[in-house]
Amino acid sequence: MGCKEDVLQIFPKDIRFILGQVSVDFGQVQEIRLRVQGPLLMICQNQEFYVTSEGTLSTQARDAYEVSARELKETLEYMGRYSLYAFEEEMKQGFLTIPGGHRVGLAGRTICDEKGIRSMKYISSINVRLAHQIRGCADPVLPWMYERGEICHTLILSPPRCGKTTLLRDLVRQISDGGREHPGMNVGVVDERSEIAACYQGVPQNDLGIRTDVLDCCPKARGIWMLIRTMSPQVIAVDEIGSREEMEALEYVMNCGCRIIATIHGSSIEDVQKKPALARLVAERWFGRYLILKPQKKVGGRIGIYDGQGVKLCETGGG
Amino acid sequence: MGIGVMMKLFGSVLLMTGTSGYGFWKAACYKRRISLLEQLRQMVFLLKGQVLYANATLEEAFEAVGKRTEGQLSRLFLYVAERIKKQQGEVFFTIWKEAVAELLADSELKAEDRQQLTAMGEHLGFLDKDMQERNLLLYLEQLDLGIRELQSHRQERCRLYTSLGVMAGMFLAILLC
Repeated sequence: MGCKEDVLQIFPKDIRFILGQVSVDFGQVQEIRLRVQGPLLMICQNQEFYVTSEGTLSTQARDAYEVSARELKETLEYMGRYSLYAFEEEMKQGFLTIPGGHRVGLAGRTICDEKGIRSMKYISSINVRLAHQIRGCADPVLPWMYERGEICHTLILSPPRCGKTTLLRDLVRQISDGGREHPGMNVGVVDERSEIAACYQGVPQNDLGIRTDVLDCCPKARGIWMLIRTMSPQVIAVDEIGSREEMEALEYVMNCGCRIIATIHGSSIEDVQKKPALARLVAERWFGRYLILKPQKKVGGRIGIYDGQGVKLCETGGG
Repeated sequence: MGIGVMMKLFGSVLLMTGTSGYGFWKAACYKRRISLLEQLRQMVFLLKGQVLYANATLEEAFEAVGKRTEGQLSRLFLYVAERIKKQQGEVFFTIWKEAVAELLADSELKAEDRQQLTAMGEHLGFLDKDMQERNLLLYLEQLDLGIRELQSHRQERCRLYTSLGVMAGMFLAILLC
């Protein structure tokens, strides 16, 4: 099933029809946003458009198709495949992952108990973030990730929507498959939100290489321990690290001869130093490379490559 | 013996065979209904396991259970899984209701059995796992009661159907001769 079909089938009939008429290549679409009694929005190449009821894109708000509460409710039901009970943990975190690895962000009224957020109801906003596998987007970066024939511990930084996960996915694929200069390596991926591999019924929908083992829907810290103990990976890849528990797991990985590639939100090394859980690892120069992605229309378009001391080694693309 | 008597005798034998056959068929239907309900109970147990312990979605759960079993009920589960997979913009209860009506119309299950089964689908997938468990347990309880009731009358009903068939044939034969 193609990207367009994967995405369209989560919408109710009317919106499905409208979006089906849109002539834009879904490979270029980054987000589709629905807000209750708000306009239907589509973001392509970092530009926002209103989607009209005829299925055309407009820059005028008055042309937009208005999304009803019923449509929002139905969308939620379809994206959960009539089984929202199976996505309780994801709902608590405010997102769902649909086939194809597309992440759907939710906002509404949260239901809390003494343990924290229990669930969410009266969903008023849905943001469908389309995942794209872009083969080769890591080409300019990969040669810089090796030092004396070994992969460096690498942290990928960028603000949201700049393609961190897409870059990580392609790095994993290329490191796993290997090439002329570097042999393939066993890569373990802890895919807590099913975004990297986009597993559907256990089968990765994205190509992550022939030597990649995926722990799907597994909390990152626990998944890292499990992989180390059971799959003897040479490289471990995780997306969006942040908690203290995850940092402890990363430190453990770094101490047992395994390489780590992780992503985090931020736009500079200073940003990362301000994060309490990560500051020490940065200060002690555990990471050998920082890849900083700049907002661009194209994923992998402009990436600053820095060494462990924060010295810029290179900037790819864009100049 | 005249040809007329021969014809009457032949007719009586045919009549008795027909009514007795009907009686035996009714008894077999009764037994088949019980065995279908028992199979359904087992399948709902498996469905509950898939939903609660494997955290499967309805599509995965129906497919897994459908593949582990055979017959009409297996076809029903696999058909529902397929319809969910297609995602044609229908609510789950519509899919379930149509599937039960289409695939079990010619089964030995009575209208009341089908009605109970249809009602189970009304709240399936709704809210959290506790709700799924309660919904399935409620249906299993209804099924248990129904099966127990049918089994308690099984012997007498089957005997009644077969003997009524034979007796009705004899009665009609005497009456017509």
